[in-house]
Amino acid sequence: MVRRERKRTGRPRGVVAATAFFCALFLVPHLLDDAWVAVLTLVLFFAFVGQAWNLMMGHVGLLSLGHALFLGIGGYTTAVLLQDYGMTPWIGIPAGALVAAMVGAGIAWLGFRFSVRGVYFALLTIAFAEFFRILFSNWPLIGGTGGYFLRVVPEDNVPLLSLRGGADHFYYLFFVLFLVGLIVSARLVRGRIGMFWSAIREDEDAARALGVRSFRLKVLVVAVSAAMTACGGGAFALMNGSLFPNTLMGMQMSIQIILAPIIGGLGTLFGPFVGAVFVVLVLEFSRDLGQTAGVYGLSTLIYGLTVLGVILYMPEGIWPRLVRLAQPLRRDR
Amino acid sequence: MTCNPAVDRRTILKGATAGAALSITPLRHVRAAGTPVKVGVLLPTSGVLAFLGQACRRGIDLGAKMMAENGAPAVEILHVDTESKAEQGRVAAEKLIREGCSVLIGAFDSGTTISAAQAAEAAKVPLVVNIAAAPQITSQGFKYVFRNFTPGATLVYNAVARIKELSSLTGVSPKTAVLMHVNDTFGHAVAKGVDILWQKLNVPIEIVDTISYSRLAKDMSVEIGRAKAAKPDILMPVTRVNDAILIVRELVKQNVELFGVIGPGSPGPYEKAFTDATGKYGDEYMDCVPWYDPTRVKTRRAIAAFAEAYPDQRFELNVGFSYEAVEIVADAIARAGSGEPGALQAALRATNLQDHIMYGGPITFDETGQNPNIGGVLLQNQGGTPKVVGPAEIAVAKPVFPMTPFAER
Repeated sequence: MVRRERKRTGRPRGVVAATAFFCALFLVPHLLDDAWVAVLTLVLFFAFVGQAWNLMMGHVGLLSLGHALFLGIGGYTTAVLLQDYGMTPWIGIPAGALVAAMVGAGIAWLGFRFSVRGVYFALLTIAFAEFFRILFSNWPLIGGTGGYFLRVVPEDNVPLLSLRGGADHFYYLFFVLFLVGLIVSARLVRGRIGMFWSAIREDEDAARALGVRSFRLKVLVVAVSAAMTACGGGAFALMNGSLFPNTLMGMQMSIQIILAPIIGGLGTLFGPFVGAVFVVLVLEFSRDLGQTAGVYGLSTLIYGLTVLGVILYMPEGIWPRLVRLAQPLRRDR
Repeated sequence: MTCNPAVDRRTILKGATAGAALSITPLRHVRAAGTPVKVGVLLPTSGVLAFLGQACRRGIDLGAKMMAENGAPAVEILHVDTESKAEQGRVAAEKLIREGCSVLIGAFDSGTTISAAQAAEAAKVPLVVNIAAAPQITSQGFKYVFRNFTPGATLVYNAVARIKELSSLTGVSPKTAVLMHVNDTFGHAVAKGVDILWQKLNVPIEIVDTISYSRLAKDMSVEIGRAKAAKPDILMPVTRVNDAILIVRELVKQNVELFGVIGPGSPGPYEKAFTDATGKYGDEYMDCVPWYDPTRVKTRRAIAAFAEAYPDQRFELNVGFSYEAVEIVADAIARAGSGEPGALQAALRATNLQDHIMYGGPITFDETGQNPNIGGVLLQNQGGTPKVVGPAEIAVAKPVFPMTPFAER
């Protein structure tokens, strides 16, 4: 009865809301100027890579503090294949995802083979991220610490083929990635694999006792998460036009990746997007405020305090709180 | 971070309202005839590069003030902080273009500059690069990017040439050297360049060891110990400010005797933070960098105005090149006779500024957008101030070489 009731009321309303939301996102470049489009592109980027990270942490309980590694692998693979081998990013981005998935699976295999769990797994991810960052920093073929630069987009550029263009183009590129990421995550999390992942997150030993193949499933989630992050890295490299190991693969980027899903709501599908909106927009407004007040660094201070406030007063994240606030309204109807 | 005592609750509220209003109002290329041309400036005034970004900002503000006093066309400067993050370059550039800026200046570091250049190129708005050394900035085919700063290779070429001249300038011929470099983007590129040019220019000094160290180094005892063991005549550190201070402290502690310490194209030793922190031990430290020409009247005027506006700060190369960026833009606006980005791009391409403050030939831009006429000088800290000691045509002091041993200071 309950299930039928949900089907009749909840889902159509959810579908309508989701459709309206994606339509609104789709129309953004037609409604706002390029500066806002560039800001919202960053929102979609952090929402997408946050979603990828959230698969591991939010749904399986595997804390990665070195996700910038996969961003870097995706970015460098895409850029090098494009610049040095003339391969379109349509090949470069999936190739980067494949390499990242293999590296991720390798790290996971190594860690889980020796039962590395919890904070020790987090340390392992940091160690590998740092190892690759230093390796890339000393690799002359990709410019080392001097960076790797993409040539300017030619005049006869076809954005759909080169995946490079103006502000609107990159917005739609990240919009598609975000949409695909959301669908893939939803399918995985709500399917059979997602149930097993939840079981592992809640109590791995109990799950294994019930026959859940935790080793294989954990390696799988790391590989999927790494591949998704690498896709984001590839698109990010095309957008920025330059890659530096210290900025793309450093600890600061790893922290930036995890901020959106933590603030938005761990283990939720929509949390990373809400978190990314919050993180990027707060930073934007605080930057404007800092500029107007003429105080250097004020934006960082405001940003830090705001994030602190959210973590203190909404420890479960913004999205779960919003959903809870909406519950009475739904019941009232 | 600077503290402004005039900032109260109301200022913050006004700022928030203005900031919010500014952020949501589309203002692309809205300009009435006769209104000032908007010039957007992207600099890292917060984050890890804040110290240097703020120095650049002082140069920009001084440049705008002096151009206005000299009767240049009216410009309105709009600043955006890139927070030392490369990805913010594009966002900041888009924002400034939206606010109606016809030309951009920035962005200090190469990653941010490339990121901003992509947005500027797409919008066909010229970007005048004040500082950024990556050669790719002008070799990737941008048509709207103009750089008035030496690319890494030229920076190193000038530095090696100055070091080679040192013997003829002082009559002392060092035989051996140790090259030390910070292992970051800049340090790596300079060290590589020194290696190549050393052979090419046939410098009669043998590099007996090359030592790299982490950009996060907190202690240099091992590196200096290793350099000391190589018994070089000169030490050539490629540093930032903090590591240059650490190196001097360690040289004093280990009582290393050298003919000289010479940074080949190294930022840091000419900074006020360096001379303040090292005191007499930082004296006689040499550096080869692009610098202002102290013999020009225009330079002296700019330095005097700077000293008046910022009595606690030093007029150095970050200030100088940022000042010149404003001068280049003002000159282009005057010649274009309009604030239209296309006309400004054409005017910038035809730039030929004979009288300017930084050492070198006239400011012109080649087909890649690079100014090929920027020179390099040999600086030496004397009495806590960096002084030009070479080339002889613009030297204001004689080089002290060999340097006074640390124990005798």
